Amino acid sequence: MFNLPETHFNFGGDEYIYAEISRDMRIESNFKAIAVTEELRKREIPGVIDIVSSNASYLVRYNPDIVSARDLLDYLKEIDLTKSNPEKLNLSVRIVEIPAWYDDPVSREYSMRFKSRHPAPDLTDFEYVMKVNGFTDKESFIKSHSETPYLITMVGFLPGTGWHFPLGLQPNGIIQAPKYNSPRTETPERGIGIGGAFNVIYPVNGPGSYQLIGRSAIPLVDKTNPLEETSFLARPGDIWKYRPVKESEYNEIESSVRAGTYHNKVKGIDLSPLEYVQKGKKYIDELMEDF
Amino acid sequence: MIEIKEPGLWTTVQDMGRVGKYHLGVPPSGAADKYSFIIGNLLVGNPAEFASLEMTLLGGEFEFHRNLIIALTGAPMEAYLNHQRLSFWETHQVKEGDILTIKACQQGVKSYLSISGGIKVQDVLGSKSTYELSQIGGFDGRKLAVGDRIQINEPLPGASKQVGKSAPLEFVPTFNDFQELRVTMGLSGYLLSDQGLKTFLNSEWIVSHESNRVAYRYTGPRVSFTEQYPPFGAGTSFSNVVDFAYPIGSIMFTNEEELIVLHNDAMTGGGFVTIGTVISQDLDLISQSRPLSKCHFITVTIDQAIQARAERKKRMETLVGLIKR
Repeated sequence: MFNLPETHFNFGGDEYIYAEISRDMRIESNFKAIAVTEELRKREIPGVIDIVSSNASYLVRYNPDIVSARDLLDYLKEIDLTKSNPEKLNLSVRIVEIPAWYDDPVSREYSMRFKSRHPAPDLTDFEYVMKVNGFTDKESFIKSHSETPYLITMVGFLPGTGWHFPLGLQPNGIIQAPKYNSPRTETPERGIGIGGAFNVIYPVNGPGSYQLIGRSAIPLVDKTNPLEETSFLARPGDIWKYRPVKESEYNEIESSVRAGTYHNKVKGIDLSPLEYVQKGKKYIDELMEDF
Repeated sequence: MIEIKEPGLWTTVQDMGRVGKYHLGVPPSGAADKYSFIIGNLLVGNPAEFASLEMTLLGGEFEFHRNLIIALTGAPMEAYLNHQRLSFWETHQVKEGDILTIKACQQGVKSYLSISGGIKVQDVLGSKSTYELSQIGGFDGRKLAVGDRIQINEPLPGASKQVGKSAPLEFVPTFNDFQELRVTMGLSGYLLSDQGLKTFLNSEWIVSHESNRVAYRYTGPRVSFTEQYPPFGAGTSFSNVVDFAYPIGSIMFTNEEELIVLHNDAMTGGGFVTIGTVISQDLDLISQSRPLSKCHFITVTIDQAIQARAERKKRMETLVGLIKR
């Protein structure tokens, strides 16, 4: 079993139950959130409206006119206890390549524009993230950030925003950054941000409080077809791998995306939380070997 | 068809909201004041969930291109049909060529124009509600503009029998400048100090101008956090937690001086200290609270929250009995 504390349950008004697996972020908490929410989804529980797997927690929205709040709580507690065994959990997920232009001029421009909300107003966000993580060389930062595969641990904020958390690293090896003191009112579309130990890619221009370190060349939401579940690139349990690209390739990818000729580099895999817990980085290296 | 001559301040197509898509980061959206919205539909003989127009502070001007059955509910805006004063909370017949002019309200914020048959727009992810931040649903994913032509479904057969019916006075809400909002406490409330919690519950909070369908912002006294070092992954501020999915109605402090309550178009997740959740029916009250009006938060247990819900449901059933065809 995962080595995790007992899940804390809370009612959120009359329509939500919030389950906090751990207060701190651990990959095991996320695997458990995925396991429990998959089980809940499979059961099609009458009265349950929304099921959201989050970084180290999950959220259920229900209609109390159909299912009693207290009975549902008891039911969730039981599933939380009995259906989170990593040995039985096998995730059919995808590895997705994200071509990224690090330290691009648009991210630089946005980070200077919102200087007054920033903990270090004299630096760009990219320089700041390098500095607080002890990097002095841009290329070694890019190498370090892009060679780590990331697990999609939560989707939300604005539609299709994927939180991702590094796989196979010890907490002290994870690139981290403080969030803005007060959120930016604007963020470039496809901007890559770091806040705490998480990375996000912002799907559209909107508010944000993570440090901007670059931009993805590929979109997070496919708007060419009627919007449906599969229009969103970010899916919990998927692995994202950054590939640094320069300006010219970034522009080429952008225009082939616009022309509808770009195909994401994607590979389907089976991800075993148990093997990850047992073997750590070695297991991730095996998974990534021929990607 | 209805032609928009003046769109008002902020008019969108809304229904009861989008469900089952929260895990994609898609919030429910839907009518901000469900109570007024539902009564509007009942008055014109619709099921509770048919799409209507939601207006904000100032209604607009609408030309009807066919005969329709309509009702106005919500914040009491001054309304005229061809310069004749038109009452709220009552079902009316309008004719092709009629002009409906809806001016500002002195109380409340949101009003609804409900039409028998409902507004005809495509469902997006299972709902007709407009979610503007991502331009999803409603009329082209946006608020209405001059010249827009809104299609209306065929009126429900027999809807004309509804004309002249009205919601009895005791069912018409009052729109006050002071509200009591019921809250279940919890979530990451443990990060607020005891003193901070007392301050939260004992103070009056003032609605800020930067309030909308996404979130309501309030100003008030300064609260204090427990100043525990944030958990791993969360960031470095005392107001940071590991990012999680926010319930609609959740109450958060982004810092010690800013209180936010998330509404139907919320950001679905984030990493700020969140201390409790406003019960679903009191979100209606929030959406009708004007900038600079005041509120007070009071705690309820889950059983009290469910009780309040049951009472409202019963009340609604009584009303259905009174105005149903």
